[in-house]
Amino acid sequence: MNNLTTIDTSAAGSAAFYQPQGNEEALFMHAYEHQLPVLLKGPTGCGKTRFISYMAEKLGLPLHTVACHDDLSASDLVGRHLIGDGCTVWSDGPLTRAVREGGICYLDEVVEARKDTTVVIHPLTDDRRILPIDRTGEVLEAPDNFMLIVSYNPGYQNVLKGMKPSTRQRFLSMSFDYLPAAEETAVIVHETGVDEAIATRLVALANSLRELKDQDLEEGASTRLLVYTATLIAAGFDPLQACRAGMIEPLTDDAQTVVGLMELAQATFGAA
Amino acid sequence: MEERVGQIWDKWITKLAYQGYPEAAVQLDDVKAALGVFYRGLGGDSGLTISATTPTLHRARRNWLHRVAGTGSKVELAWYDERCLYLPQRLDVFPQAELNRELYFWLAALAGTPATAEVHLGMNWLVDNQQRCLQTLSLYPGLKPRYQRLVDAFLRLRDPAELKHSGQAAVLSAVYQALREPGSVTELPADDFAPDPVPLWLHPNPPRAEGLHSEDNGKDRDSSQGQSKQGEQRRRQAERVEKPEENGTTLGVRHEADLFSYAEFCQMDRGSEDEDDLDQAESIANDIDKMSVTQDSTPVASRIKFDLDLPSAQEDDIPLGEGIRYPEWDYKRQVLLPDYSCIIPMQSRNAQASDLPAHLQTTARRLRRQFEMLTNRSVRLRSQYDGDELDIDAYLQHRTALATGKGDDGRLYSQKRRLQRDMSCLLLADLSLSTDAWVGTQNAEDDCQVIDVIRDSLYLFSESLHASEDQFAIHGFSSRRREHVRFNCLKDFGETYNDTVRGRIADISPGFYTRMGAAIRHASALLAKQPAEKKLLLLVTDGKPNDLDRYEGRHGIEDTRKAIQEARSMGLVPFCITIDEQANQYLPYLFGRQGYTFIHRATQLPKKLPQLYLKLTGKLLEH
Repeated sequence: MNNLTTIDTSAAGSAAFYQPQGNEEALFMHAYEHQLPVLLKGPTGCGKTRFISYMAEKLGLPLHTVACHDDLSASDLVGRHLIGDGCTVWSDGPLTRAVREGGICYLDEVVEARKDTTVVIHPLTDDRRILPIDRTGEVLEAPDNFMLIVSYNPGYQNVLKGMKPSTRQRFLSMSFDYLPAAEETAVIVHETGVDEAIATRLVALANSLRELKDQDLEEGASTRLLVYTATLIAAGFDPLQACRAGMIEPLTDDAQTVVGLMELAQATFGAA
Repeated sequence: MEERVGQIWDKWITKLAYQGYPEAAVQLDDVKAALGVFYRGLGGDSGLTISATTPTLHRARRNWLHRVAGTGSKVELAWYDERCLYLPQRLDVFPQAELNRELYFWLAALAGTPATAEVHLGMNWLVDNQQRCLQTLSLYPGLKPRYQRLVDAFLRLRDPAELKHSGQAAVLSAVYQALREPGSVTELPADDFAPDPVPLWLHPNPPRAEGLHSEDNGKDRDSSQGQSKQGEQRRRQAERVEKPEENGTTLGVRHEADLFSYAEFCQMDRGSEDEDDLDQAESIANDIDKMSVTQDSTPVASRIKFDLDLPSAQEDDIPLGEGIRYPEWDYKRQVLLPDYSCIIPMQSRNAQASDLPAHLQTTARRLRRQFEMLTNRSVRLRSQYDGDELDIDAYLQHRTALATGKGDDGRLYSQKRRLQRDMSCLLLADLSLSTDAWVGTQNAEDDCQVIDVIRDSLYLFSESLHASEDQFAIHGFSSRRREHVRFNCLKDFGETYNDTVRGRIADISPGFYTRMGAAIRHASALLAKQPAEKKLLLLVTDGKPNDLDRYEGRHGIEDTRKAIQEARSMGLVPFCITIDEQANQYLPYLFGRQGYTFIHRATQLPKKLPQLYLKLTGKLLEH
């Protein structure tokens, strides 16, 4: 709660609002000053992306975010020749652009990307800090204000995916988790304007749902989902219906689990 | 004629005396799944399964109708111990089904809310339940209106006249007061009889509170797998008593007052079925008010079992080395007991190199073809930015776009991409004695033993994977206490699949018990050494972990769970294939909801296993 007051809320409209969890800011600053790449781990929607936007803003760096997916290949990151009318034009990918211009390149959910992408980022993560581009014959040297950030969610166990230890060991790593109840409540009040009593109950419900991870649910309720739900309530929806649409249905497809979770929502929210 | 009249009278009077509302009954099975989620969400112990309780005797005063009808002396109440949350098999307390359903959830909430230290002492049933109510209501304000509704409905059902004329007026009104305002009553007025059971509260004396040395040494075995059906999954009321004198009588009437009850004490080993006619034994068990179980320090049956089961050293498989020690998880103390169990890798002594059995040839050939395709599979991606060939269609489109003045992004190539598979799989098969059981299907010809099913699965799995060129190993396990966990090596990662391996598969036989945790730890260690990027640990089993010592029930489950978590943290992907019908009770706790699959008919396993493997690794094909 105290941290909340240190943030200049007058600028909240433009700057990203971020609720610190621990010493991540100090760690990040250190990494930036010493040009170390950073790896963020943590469950979906716990604030990794928000943290990066916040830090980018704070450091005054441009932010190049790449949401990684199954089909993302090395050339998507680095760039490619495009064919124009009678000529070919080289077009930089987001990674190359970040290396040329400086700033933060953030590869969100990096394990989702295809394998060849890790090869590209390797020379950027050690002390050489270079990006060789085979196609153009260039070797770009990263400027001092370039920073590589990757994130992934170690919770997805089913997807048969993980990060190679050799890759993992190139990064300064930070683990993120959901905020403690009081702070998460403050975030929800700040983001959506619902009253504190509602936010408190929402967070209590979310924490109950998080307890069910791995057994009844694949993933716990994210802060993002909480914000969605609170927005619905703020807009006048019945809290139970808001919980169903905002938190429960997104988490499971199993009908019986939905029934159980709705009972839980009812026990937390009352009504009916 | 007399008998017929008697039957009609009995039916009529029983119905008259019955106070429930059968037409509004809610069955536990219908709400069980949702109830489990609810219970765990409130903070209830996630290792507990929900099970139907059994009627217990209560000592409350019965009304005259009950006395005439000879009913009403037993009641089904909710309670929990360290393994299960017991709830009535069906609830028909209220005339509205909705209220009965709410009652289930209320009872689960009462049991699931973390109790305060006072409540844990379990000193006073009355105060205990009121405290629980208060706690539950303050943590979950949403339950308040529901509780109010239940109390109102419950009090409405009570006959006010009953309060006036009953000798128990003072007691009843105190209980009603406690229901209306939990926390307001600290003591009940003295009375000869126990107060009426309150369906809104937990059991007054769940057997967990007393008990001699309830050290949970895995003596009481759960019902043997595969034989019991859903409806029979109720618990019997049991008490632990001291073992009677050796030379005294083994048959003693314990409840002299209940003239019409069976009550006997006979020394029997629950590990084996003495009663030939199981149905009759079952019905007697249902009629006995209380079963008495005692702790015997001499494990007679298990000792005999050792002698019968353990082959002599010349006959037994060849042990490979001294044995490797692994820790075991003690969930009660929350510590890893270092070097607790001993894995003994073994190799079959009598295995003869052999061919694939004839009845599997056709299936194997088909699977081999499917899996061979995996290795050579490559795809041609069209409309790519780069590639080895020009994509004519894309080029034409591009020219057209240019000619018409529209630009496009110039994806003119097609690219051939070979699908890479870089994975290792270790298949761990349960070879415990339970796999000796028969699995039947509709027609008797399909009847076979679980071990045959597992053997066929191993064959087909190996044939398939051999064709796909994925790295794989096959091991089996069984155990006899912690010092002797047998780990049968059927095929190591380094070996090629050939007639020798087939011979070893042919030679597997069921025996001993299921110390799953140790086996998983050893398998994980082997698999983790593999250089492949993706590592799959497949477990094929027919039931829960168990062993002769305390590796039973909760202890075994928790240790197995720990072993699986360790495997995950090593970067392995554990997955379980089970043929146990009750698996959904405990497997989500072990492997997560997505981490296991249940094969309905054991005989499907041989064909399903390779398919499942494809599905599991299917994600890889896209990369």
